[in-house]
Amino acid sequence: MSAPASDRSRAAAAPARRHRLAAPRPARVRAAERDGRPLAVDGRAVDAVRESWLVEDRWWSERPLRRRYWEVVTTCGRNVVVFHDLREGGWFRQR
Amino acid sequence: MVVCVLIPRFQLAVAVGDREELLGAPAALAPEPGRDARIGEVSLAAEAFGVRAGMPLGEALARCPALALVPPDPAGVADAWERLLTRLESIGAAVEPERPGLACFAAQGLVRLHGGTLERVLAAARAALRHPARIGAGPSRFCALAAATRARARRPQVVLGDERAARDYLAPLPVALLRGRDETAALPEALARLGIERLGELAALPRAEVADRFGAAGLLAWELAQGRDGRPRPREAPERLEEELELPEALSGVQLDRALGLLVDRLLARRERRGRTLRAVVLAATLVEGGTWREQVPFREALSDPTRMRLALTPRLAQLPAPAERLRLAAVRFGPAASDQRSLLDEAASARRARLREGVRQARAAAGPDAALRVLAVDPDSRVPERRAVLTPFE
Repeated sequence: MSAPASDRSRAAAAPARRHRLAAPRPARVRAAERDGRPLAVDGRAVDAVRESWLVEDRWWSERPLRRRYWEVVTTCGRNVVVFHDLREGGWFRQR
Repeated sequence: MVVCVLIPRFQLAVAVGDREELLGAPAALAPEPGRDARIGEVSLAAEAFGVRAGMPLGEALARCPALALVPPDPAGVADAWERLLTRLESIGAAVEPERPGLACFAAQGLVRLHGGTLERVLAAARAALRHPARIGAGPSRFCALAAATRARARRPQVVLGDERAARDYLAPLPVALLRGRDETAALPEALARLGIERLGELAALPRAEVADRFGAAGLLAWELAQGRDGRPRPREAPERLEEELELPEALSGVQLDRALGLLVDRLLARRERRGRTLRAVVLAATLVEGGTWREQVPFREALSDPTRMRLALTPRLAQLPAPAERLRLAAVRFGPAASDQRSLLDEAASARRARLREGVRQARAAAGPDAALRVLAVDPDSRVPERRAVLTPFE
Protein backbone atom coordinates (compact mmCIF):
# COMPACT_ATOMS: atom_id res chain seq x y z
CA MET A 1 0.00 0.00 0.00
CA SER A 2 1.33 3.40 -0.83
CA ALA A 3 1.04 6.27 1.60
CA PRO A 4 -0.33 9.30 -0.21
CA ALA A 5 -1.57 12.37 1.60
CA SER A 6 -5.15 12.18 2.76
CA ASP A 7 -7.88 13.38 0.44
CA ARG A 8 -8.85 16.08 2.84
CA SER A 9 -5.38 17.29 3.65
CA ARG A 10 -4.54 17.26 -0.03
CA ALA A 11 -7.56 19.41 -0.72
CA ALA A 12 -6.58 21.76 2.06
CA ALA A 13 -2.96 22.04 1.02
CA ALA A 14 -2.10 25.19 -0.82
CA PRO A 15 -0.23 24.94 -4.10
CA ALA A 16 3.51 24.95 -3.51
CA ARG A 17 4.82 28.54 -3.46
CA ARG A 18 8.49 28.75 -4.11
CA HIS A 19 10.05 32.17 -4.43
CA ARG A 20 13.74 31.66 -4.84
CA LEU A 21 15.93 34.68 -5.03
CA ALA A 22 18.86 34.89 -7.45
CA ALA A 23 17.43 32.24 -9.75
CA PRO A 24 19.59 31.76 -12.89
CA ARG A 25 18.39 33.50 -16.05
CA PRO A 26 19.52 32.49 -19.54
CA ALA A 27 22.20 34.75 -21.02
CA ARG A 28 23.70 35.15 -24.49
CA VAL A 29 27.39 34.60 -24.05
CA ARG A 30 30.12 34.32 -26.68
CA ALA A 31 33.04 32.42 -25.22
CA ALA A 32 36.60 31.71 -26.24
CA GLU A 33 37.04 28.21 -27.61
CA ARG A 34 40.43 27.73 -25.98
CA ASP A 35 39.58 28.22 -22.29
CA GLY A 36 35.83 29.00 -22.25
CA ARG A 37 36.38 32.60 -21.07
CA PRO A 38 33.40 34.88 -21.90
CA LEU A 39 34.15 37.38 -24.66
CA ALA A 40 30.72 39.05 -24.76
CA VAL A 41 27.65 38.92 -22.48
CA ASP A 42 24.25 39.82 -23.92
CA GLY A 43 25.91 41.71 -26.76
CA ARG A 44 28.33 43.65 -24.54
CA ALA A 45 32.01 42.91 -24.98
CA VAL A 46 33.86 41.78 -21.88
CA ASP A 47 36.51 44.24 -20.75
CA ALA A 48 38.03 42.21 -17.92
CA VAL A 49 37.62 38.94 -16.07
CA ARG A 50 37.71 39.53 -12.32
CA GLU A 51 37.37 35.99 -11.07
CA SER A 52 36.49 32.46 -12.13
CA TRP A 53 35.51 29.48 -9.98
CA LEU A 54 34.07 26.02 -10.29
CA VAL A 55 31.04 24.81 -8.31
CA GLU A 56 30.37 21.09 -8.05
CA ASP A 57 27.55 20.01 -5.77
CA ARG A 58 25.02 17.25 -5.18
CA TRP A 59 27.38 14.84 -6.94
CA TRP A 60 25.88 12.11 -4.74
CA SER A 61 22.36 12.66 -6.06
CA GLU A 62 20.61 12.03 -9.35
CA ARG A 63 20.71 15.73 -10.15
CA PRO A 64 24.34 16.71 -9.78
CA LEU A 65 25.35 20.29 -10.38
CA ARG A 66 28.52 21.39 -12.18
CA ARG A 67 29.06 25.03 -13.10
CA ARG A 68 31.98 27.24 -14.16
CA TYR A 69 31.35 30.74 -12.86
CA TRP A 70 32.88 33.91 -14.35
CA GLU A 71 32.73 37.36 -12.82
CA VAL A 72 33.37 39.83 -15.60
CA VAL A 73 33.25 43.56 -16.27
CA THR A 74 31.66 44.58 -19.56
CA THR A 75 32.73 47.54 -21.65
CA CYS A 76 29.86 49.59 -20.25
CA GLY A 77 31.32 49.16 -16.78
CA ARG A 78 28.80 46.67 -15.45
CA ASN A 79 29.88 43.89 -13.14
CA VAL A 80 28.22 40.65 -14.27
CA VAL A 81 28.33 37.08 -12.95
CA VAL A 82 27.62 34.37 -15.50
CA PHE A 83 28.10 30.65 -15.42
CA HIS A 84 28.39 27.87 -17.93
CA ASP A 85 26.39 24.74 -17.03
CA LEU A 86 28.95 22.00 -17.63
CA ARG A 87 26.38 19.21 -17.49
CA GLU A 88 23.39 20.47 -19.44
CA GLY A 89 25.17 23.14 -21.44
CA GLY A 90 24.07 26.74 -21.79
CA TRP A 91 25.04 30.03 -20.21
CA PHE A 92 23.19 31.78 -17.39
CA ARG A 93 23.41 35.11 -15.65
CA GLN A 94 23.19 35.18 -11.89
CA ARG A 95 23.56 37.77 -9.18
CA MET B 1 -25.13 -1.83 17.84
CA VAL B 2 -21.46 -1.01 17.33
CA VAL B 3 -19.58 -1.64 14.10
CA CYS B 4 -15.85 -2.32 14.16
CA VAL B 5 -13.57 -1.99 11.14
CA LEU B 6 -10.29 -3.86 11.42
CA ILE B 7 -7.43 -3.78 8.93
CA PRO B 8 -4.83 -6.22 10.23
CA ARG B 9 -1.18 -5.17 9.97
CA PHE B 10 -2.13 -1.77 8.64
CA GLN B 11 1.03 0.02 9.77
CA LEU B 12 3.25 -2.73 8.40
CA ALA B 13 1.42 -2.72 5.06
CA VAL B 14 1.86 1.03 4.72
CA ALA B 15 5.53 0.91 5.67
CA VAL B 16 6.20 -1.93 3.23
CA GLY B 17 4.69 0.10 0.37
CA ASP B 18 5.29 -1.51 -3.02
CA ARG B 19 7.50 -4.28 -1.64
CA GLU B 20 4.50 -6.48 -0.89
CA GLU B 21 6.58 -9.64 -1.08
CA LEU B 22 7.91 -8.70 2.35
CA LEU B 23 4.48 -9.41 3.84
CA GLY B 24 4.79 -13.05 2.77
CA ALA B 25 8.10 -13.44 4.60
CA PRO B 26 8.96 -12.97 8.29
CA ALA B 27 8.94 -9.18 8.66
CA ALA B 28 8.30 -6.66 11.41
CA LEU B 29 8.26 -2.93 11.86
CA ALA B 30 11.61 -1.78 13.23
CA PRO B 31 11.56 0.15 16.53
CA GLU B 32 11.00 3.85 16.07
CA PRO B 33 14.19 5.89 16.55
CA GLY B 34 14.52 7.24 20.04
CA ARG B 35 11.83 4.94 21.44
CA ASP B 36 11.95 1.58 23.23
CA ALA B 37 13.73 -1.12 21.25
CA ARG B 38 10.51 -3.03 20.64
CA ILE B 39 9.25 -4.12 17.26
CA GLY B 40 5.95 -2.97 15.80
CA GLU B 41 3.41 -4.98 13.81
CA VAL B 42 4.62 -8.30 12.43
CA SER B 43 3.72 -10.34 9.35
CA LEU B 44 1.85 -13.65 9.50
CA ALA B 45 5.02 -15.55 8.64
CA ALA B 46 6.77 -13.88 11.59
CA GLU B 47 3.91 -14.82 13.91
CA ALA B 48 4.53 -18.44 12.98
CA PHE B 49 7.94 -18.08 14.66
CA GLY B 50 6.32 -16.77 17.84
CA VAL B 51 7.21 -13.15 17.11
CA ARG B 52 4.63 -10.63 18.31
CA ALA B 53 4.15 -6.89 18.10
CA GLY B 54 5.63 -5.12 21.11
CA MET B 55 8.27 -7.79 21.67
CA PRO B 56 11.83 -6.63 22.50
CA LEU B 57 13.93 -6.52 19.34
CA GLY B 58 16.55 -8.91 20.72
CA GLU B 59 13.98 -11.54 21.63
CA ALA B 60 12.29 -11.24 18.23
CA LEU B 61 15.59 -11.75 16.39
CA ALA B 62 16.45 -14.68 18.65
CA ARG B 63 13.16 -16.36 17.77
CA CYS B 64 13.43 -15.59 14.07
CA PRO B 65 16.98 -14.74 12.86
CA ALA B 66 15.70 -14.18 9.31
CA LEU B 67 13.26 -11.49 10.48
CA ALA B 68 13.27 -8.53 8.06
CA LEU B 69 12.98 -5.18 9.81
CA VAL B 70 10.97 -2.58 7.91
CA PRO B 71 11.64 1.11 8.73
CA PRO B 72 8.49 2.58 10.27
CA ASP B 73 6.55 5.17 8.29
CA PRO B 74 4.47 7.02 10.93
CA ALA B 75 3.71 9.95 8.64
CA GLY B 76 2.57 7.68 5.82
CA VAL B 77 0.45 5.67 8.25
CA ALA B 78 -1.21 8.82 9.59
CA ASP B 79 -2.03 10.00 6.06
CA ALA B 80 -3.38 6.65 4.88
CA TRP B 81 -5.40 6.18 8.07
CA GLU B 82 -6.84 9.67 7.86
CA ARG B 83 -7.91 8.95 4.30
CA LEU B 84 -9.76 5.78 5.35
CA LEU B 85 -11.41 7.52 8.32
CA THR B 86 -12.60 10.30 6.04
CA ARG B 87 -14.12 7.72 3.72
CA LEU B 88 -15.93 6.07 6.64
CA GLU B 89 -17.21 9.45 7.78
CA SER B 90 -18.50 10.08 4.27
CA ILE B 91 -21.32 7.57 4.92
CA GLY B 92 -22.36 9.55 7.99
CA ALA B 93 -20.54 7.45 10.58
CA ALA B 94 -19.29 9.16 13.75
CA VAL B 95 -16.00 7.29 13.87
CA GLU B 96 -13.83 6.61 16.89
CA PRO B 97 -10.33 5.78 15.72
CA GLU B 98 -8.73 3.52 18.33
CA ARG B 99 -5.40 3.04 16.56
CA PRO B 100 -4.31 2.91 12.92
CA GLY B 101 -6.12 -0.07 11.43
CA LEU B 102 -8.91 -0.22 14.04
CA ALA B 103 -11.95 2.04 14.22
CA CYS B 104 -15.52 1.67 15.40
CA PHE B 105 -18.76 3.60 15.14
CA ALA B 106 -22.33 3.32 16.38
CA ALA B 107 -24.72 2.02 13.75
CA GLN B 108 -28.05 3.17 15.24
CA GLY B 109 -28.24 6.49 13.49
CA LEU B 110 -27.16 5.07 10.14
CA VAL B 111 -29.65 2.25 9.71
CA ARG B 112 -32.44 4.43 8.33
CA LEU B 113 -30.01 6.41 6.28
CA HIS B 114 -28.86 3.29 4.43
CA GLY B 115 -32.00 1.34 3.71
CA GLY B 116 -33.22 0.20 7.11
CA THR B 117 -30.97 -2.79 7.82
CA LEU B 118 -27.61 -3.23 9.50
CA GLU B 119 -26.34 -5.27 6.55
CA ARG B 120 -26.77 -2.26 4.28
CA VAL B 121 -24.83 -0.08 6.69
CA LEU B 122 -22.00 -2.62 6.65
CA ALA B 123 -22.14 -2.80 2.87
CA ALA B 124 -21.99 0.99 2.65
CA ALA B 125 -18.99 1.07 4.98
CA ARG B 126 -17.20 -1.56 2.92
CA ALA B 127 -17.95 0.25 -0.34
CA ALA B 128 -16.80 3.57 1.09
CA LEU B 129 -13.53 2.14 2.39
CA ARG B 130 -12.39 0.80 -0.99
CA HIS B 131 -9.82 -1.21 0.95
CA PRO B 132 -9.91 -4.82 2.19
CA ALA B 133 -11.08 -4.78 5.80
CA ARG B 134 -12.66 -7.09 8.32
CA ILE B 135 -15.92 -5.77 9.63
CA GLY B 136 -17.74 -6.96 12.73
CA ALA B 137 -20.80 -5.72 14.59
CA GLY B 138 -21.99 -6.42 18.10
CA PRO B 139 -23.72 -4.96 21.15
CA SER B 140 -20.45 -3.59 22.58
CA ARG B 141 -17.21 -2.22 21.17
CA PHE B 142 -15.18 -5.16 22.41
CA CYS B 143 -17.70 -7.66 21.08
CA ALA B 144 -17.62 -5.90 17.69
CA LEU B 145 -13.82 -6.09 17.72
CA ALA B 146 -13.97 -9.80 18.51
CA ALA B 147 -16.44 -10.29 15.68
CA ALA B 148 -14.18 -8.35 13.31
CA THR B 149 -11.20 -10.55 14.12
CA ARG B 150 -13.29 -13.60 13.18
CA ALA B 151 -14.87 -12.04 10.10
CA ARG B 152 -13.69 -12.85 6.61
CA ALA B 153 -12.46 -10.22 4.23
CA ARG B 154 -15.76 -10.07 2.32
CA ARG B 155 -18.18 -11.42 4.90
CA PRO B 156 -18.86 -9.37 8.02
CA GLN B 157 -19.63 -11.09 11.31
CA VAL B 158 -22.63 -9.79 13.22
CA VAL B 159 -23.54 -10.58 16.83
CA LEU B 160 -27.19 -9.75 17.40
CA GLY B 161 -28.73 -9.29 20.81
CA ASP B 162 -27.85 -7.59 24.07
CA GLU B 163 -25.17 -7.80 26.72
CA ARG B 164 -25.95 -11.46 27.45
CA ALA B 165 -25.55 -12.35 23.76
CA ALA B 166 -22.21 -10.56 23.72
CA ARG B 167 -21.02 -12.50 26.78
CA ASP B 168 -22.08 -15.79 25.25
CA TYR B 169 -20.34 -14.92 22.00
CA LEU B 170 -17.12 -13.91 23.74
CA ALA B 171 -17.00 -16.90 26.14
CA PRO B 172 -15.25 -19.42 23.84
CA LEU B 173 -12.82 -16.83 22.40
CA PRO B 174 -9.17 -16.61 23.54
CA VAL B 175 -8.05 -14.00 26.07
CA ALA B 176 -5.48 -12.89 23.44
CA LEU B 177 -8.28 -10.64 22.13
CA LEU B 178 -7.56 -8.36 25.08
CA ARG B 179 -4.41 -7.26 23.21
CA GLY B 180 -6.75 -5.20 21.03
CA ARG B 181 -7.09 -2.63 23.84
CA ASP B 182 -4.13 -0.65 25.10
CA GLU B 183 -5.27 -0.85 28.74
CA THR B 184 -5.51 -4.65 28.74
CA ALA B 185 -2.76 -5.48 26.22
CA ALA B 186 -0.40 -6.87 28.89
CA LEU B 187 -2.96 -9.20 30.50
CA PRO B 188 -3.19 -12.21 28.15
CA GLU B 189 0.24 -13.59 29.05
CA ALA B 190 -0.40 -13.26 32.78
CA LEU B 191 -3.82 -14.87 32.41
CA ALA B 192 -2.36 -17.70 30.32
CA ARG B 193 0.20 -18.42 33.07
CA LEU B 194 -2.72 -18.90 35.45
CA GLY B 195 -4.41 -21.28 33.02
CA ILE B 196 -7.11 -18.80 31.94
CA GLU B 197 -7.24 -19.05 28.18
CA ARG B 198 -10.84 -18.19 27.30
CA LEU B 199 -12.81 -15.05 27.96
CA GLY B 200 -15.59 -17.16 29.43
CA GLU B 201 -13.20 -18.41 32.13
CA LEU B 202 -12.25 -14.84 32.93
CA ALA B 203 -15.91 -13.78 33.11
CA ALA B 204 -16.62 -16.64 35.53
CA LEU B 205 -14.03 -15.40 38.06
CA PRO B 206 -15.24 -13.34 41.03
CA ARG B 207 -14.91 -9.64 40.23
CA ALA B 208 -13.18 -8.79 43.52
CA GLU B 209 -10.49 -11.44 43.03
CA VAL B 210 -9.72 -10.20 39.51
CA ALA B 211 -9.42 -6.68 40.93
CA ASP B 212 -7.08 -7.88 43.69
CA ARG B 213 -4.80 -9.68 41.27
CA PHE B 214 -4.78 -7.37 38.22
CA GLY B 215 -6.00 -4.00 39.40
CA ALA B 216 -7.80 -1.58 37.11
CA ALA B 217 -6.69 -3.35 33.93
CA GLY B 218 -8.09 -6.63 35.26
CA LEU B 219 -11.39 -5.02 36.15
CA LEU B 220 -11.71 -3.58 32.67
CA ALA B 221 -10.89 -6.96 31.11
CA TRP B 222 -13.52 -8.60 33.35
CA GLU B 223 -16.13 -6.04 32.27
CA LEU B 224 -15.23 -6.61 28.62
CA ALA B 225 -15.57 -10.36 29.04
CA GLN B 226 -19.03 -9.76 30.53
CA GLY B 227 -20.05 -8.11 27.27
CA ARG B 228 -20.01 -4.60 28.74
CA ASP B 229 -18.07 -1.74 27.22
CA GLY B 230 -18.31 2.00 26.84
CA ARG B 231 -19.95 3.69 23.88
CA PRO B 232 -17.80 4.83 20.96
CA ARG B 233 -16.42 8.30 21.48
CA PRO B 234 -16.44 9.90 18.03
CA ARG B 235 -13.57 12.15 17.12
CA GLU B 236 -14.13 15.81 16.39
CA ALA B 237 -14.48 16.73 12.75
CA PRO B 238 -10.87 17.11 11.66
CA GLU B 239 -9.57 20.22 10.00
CA ARG B 240 -6.01 20.18 8.81
CA LEU B 241 -3.86 22.90 7.39
CA GLU B 242 -0.66 21.63 5.98
CA GLU B 243 2.52 23.07 4.50
CA GLU B 244 5.28 21.00 3.01
CA LEU B 245 8.78 21.84 1.92
CA GLU B 246 10.89 19.64 -0.30
CA LEU B 247 14.44 20.33 0.71
CA PRO B 248 16.96 20.76 -2.10
CA GLU B 249 19.27 18.34 -0.36
CA ALA B 250 19.16 16.32 2.83
CA LEU B 251 19.34 18.90 5.61
CA SER B 252 20.02 18.92 9.31
CA GLY B 253 21.08 21.44 11.93
CA VAL B 254 20.75 25.17 11.38
CA GLN B 255 19.57 24.86 7.79
CA LEU B 256 16.72 22.63 8.91
CA ASP B 257 15.78 25.22 11.55
CA ARG B 258 15.49 27.81 8.79
CA ALA B 259 13.32 25.49 6.72
CA LEU B 260 11.09 25.06 9.77
CA GLY B 261 10.85 28.84 10.12
CA LEU B 262 9.72 29.04 6.52
CA LEU B 263 7.02 26.42 7.13
CA VAL B 264 5.78 28.22 10.24
CA ASP B 265 5.47 31.47 8.29
CA ARG B 266 3.60 29.78 5.48
CA LEU B 267 1.23 27.99 7.83
CA LEU B 268 0.37 31.17 9.69
CA ALA B 269 -0.18 33.01 6.41
CA ARG B 270 -2.86 30.58 5.22
CA ARG B 271 -6.26 32.19 4.73
CA GLU B 272 -8.06 29.11 6.06
CA ARG B 273 -6.63 29.83 9.50
CA ARG B 274 -9.01 32.79 9.70
CA GLY B 275 -7.00 34.46 12.45
CA ARG B 276 -7.31 31.51 14.82
CA THR B 277 -4.54 30.41 17.13
CA LEU B 278 -3.02 26.93 16.98
CA ARG B 279 -3.25 24.45 19.84
CA ALA B 280 -1.35 21.54 18.31
CA VAL B 281 0.68 20.88 15.21
CA VAL B 282 2.23 17.79 13.65
CA LEU B 283 5.82 17.98 12.51
CA ALA B 284 6.79 15.24 10.05
CA ALA B 285 9.85 14.52 7.96
CA THR B 286 10.81 12.12 5.21
CA LEU B 287 14.24 10.81 6.07
CA VAL B 288 17.06 10.47 3.60
CA GLU B 289 17.72 6.91 4.80
CA GLY B 290 14.13 5.89 4.06
CA GLY B 291 11.13 5.89 6.34
CA THR B 292 9.53 8.89 7.99
CA TRP B 293 9.45 10.61 11.35
CA ARG B 294 6.38 12.20 12.91
CA GLU B 295 5.78 14.08 16.14
CA GLN B 296 2.63 15.77 17.40
CA VAL B 297 3.46 18.92 19.35
CA PRO B 298 0.74 20.42 21.57
CA PHE B 299 1.49 23.98 22.65
CA ARG B 300 1.19 24.99 26.29
CA GLU B 301 -1.27 27.65 25.21
CA ALA B 302 -2.94 28.38 21.92
CA LEU B 303 -0.71 30.75 19.97
CA SER B 304 -0.13 32.31 16.61
CA ASP B 305 3.22 33.95 17.26
CA PRO B 306 5.80 32.56 14.80
CA THR B 307 8.69 33.23 17.20
CA ARG B 308 7.11 31.23 20.00
CA MET B 309 6.12 28.47 17.61
CA ARG B 310 9.70 28.19 16.43
CA LEU B 311 10.89 28.09 20.04
CA ALA B 312 8.56 25.19 20.74
CA LEU B 313 9.26 23.29 17.53
CA THR B 314 12.99 23.72 16.98
CA PRO B 315 14.04 21.37 19.84
CA ARG B 316 11.93 18.65 18.24
CA LEU B 317 14.10 18.74 15.14
CA ALA B 318 17.02 17.58 17.27
CA GLN B 319 15.18 14.27 17.69
CA LEU B 320 15.33 13.57 13.96
CA PRO B 321 17.21 10.29 13.59
CA ALA B 322 18.62 11.19 10.16
CA PRO B 323 18.83 14.18 7.81
CA ALA B 324 15.51 15.06 6.24
CA GLU B 325 14.74 15.51 2.57
CA ARG B 326 11.17 16.72 3.10
CA LEU B 327 9.63 18.56 6.01
CA ARG B 328 5.93 18.96 6.71
CA LEU B 329 4.06 21.04 9.26
CA ALA B 330 0.33 20.60 9.82
CA ALA B 331 -2.02 22.35 12.20
CA VAL B 332 -4.32 19.72 13.72
CA ARG B 333 -6.07 21.62 16.51
CA PHE B 334 -7.13 25.23 16.55
CA GLY B 335 -7.75 27.64 19.38
CA PRO B 336 -9.79 30.85 19.55
CA ALA B 337 -8.94 33.77 17.33
CA ALA B 338 -5.87 35.66 18.46
CA SER B 339 -6.59 38.81 20.41
CA ASP B 340 -4.01 41.45 21.10
CA GLN B 341 -3.73 42.40 24.73
CA ARG B 342 -2.73 46.03 25.10
CA SER B 343 0.56 46.48 26.88
CA LEU B 344 1.13 49.01 29.64
CA LEU B 345 4.33 50.34 28.13
CA ASP B 346 5.83 50.65 24.69
CA GLU B 347 2.53 51.69 23.10
CA ALA B 348 4.17 53.27 20.08
CA ALA B 349 6.00 50.13 19.01
CA SER B 350 2.92 47.94 19.40
CA ALA B 351 0.82 50.50 17.53
CA ARG B 352 3.32 50.45 14.67
CA ARG B 353 3.24 46.67 14.59
CA ALA B 354 -0.57 46.69 14.60
CA ARG B 355 -0.61 49.17 11.69
CA LEU B 356 1.89 47.05 9.82
CA ARG B 357 -0.18 43.91 10.38
CA GLU B 358 -3.29 45.68 9.19
CA GLY B 359 -1.44 46.91 6.10
CA VAL B 360 -0.25 43.39 5.35
CA ARG B 361 -3.76 42.04 5.84
CA GLN B 362 -5.21 44.57 3.43
CA ALA B 363 -2.50 43.97 0.87
CA ARG B 364 -3.17 40.24 1.01
CA ALA B 365 -6.90 40.76 0.74
CA ALA B 366 -6.35 42.80 -2.41
CA ALA B 367 -3.51 40.94 -4.09
CA GLY B 368 -3.42 37.43 -2.62
CA PRO B 369 -1.20 35.68 -0.11
CA ASP B 370 2.01 36.64 -1.94
CA ALA B 371 1.39 40.34 -1.60
CA ALA B 372 3.65 40.79 1.43
CA LEU B 373 6.84 38.80 1.54
CA ARG B 374 10.14 38.98 3.34
CA VAL B 375 13.56 37.57 2.59
CA LEU B 376 14.48 34.50 4.61
CA ALA B 377 18.08 33.34 4.57
CA VAL B 378 17.76 29.58 4.15
CA ASP B 379 21.37 28.66 3.57
CA PRO B 380 23.38 31.90 3.42
CA ASP B 381 26.72 30.12 3.10
CA SER B 382 25.71 27.95 0.15
CA ARG B 383 28.01 28.10 -2.86
CA VAL B 384 24.94 27.95 -5.11
CA PRO B 385 23.39 31.44 -5.11
CA GLU B 386 19.76 30.40 -5.68
CA ARG B 387 19.83 28.32 -2.51
CA ARG B 388 20.84 31.14 -0.20
CA ALA B 389 17.53 32.90 0.29
CA VAL B 390 13.83 32.59 -0.44
CA LEU B 391 10.86 34.88 -0.13
CA THR B 392 8.43 33.87 2.59
CA PRO B 393 5.10 35.31 3.79
CA PHE B 394 5.59 38.35 5.98
CA GLU B 395 4.45 37.81 9.55
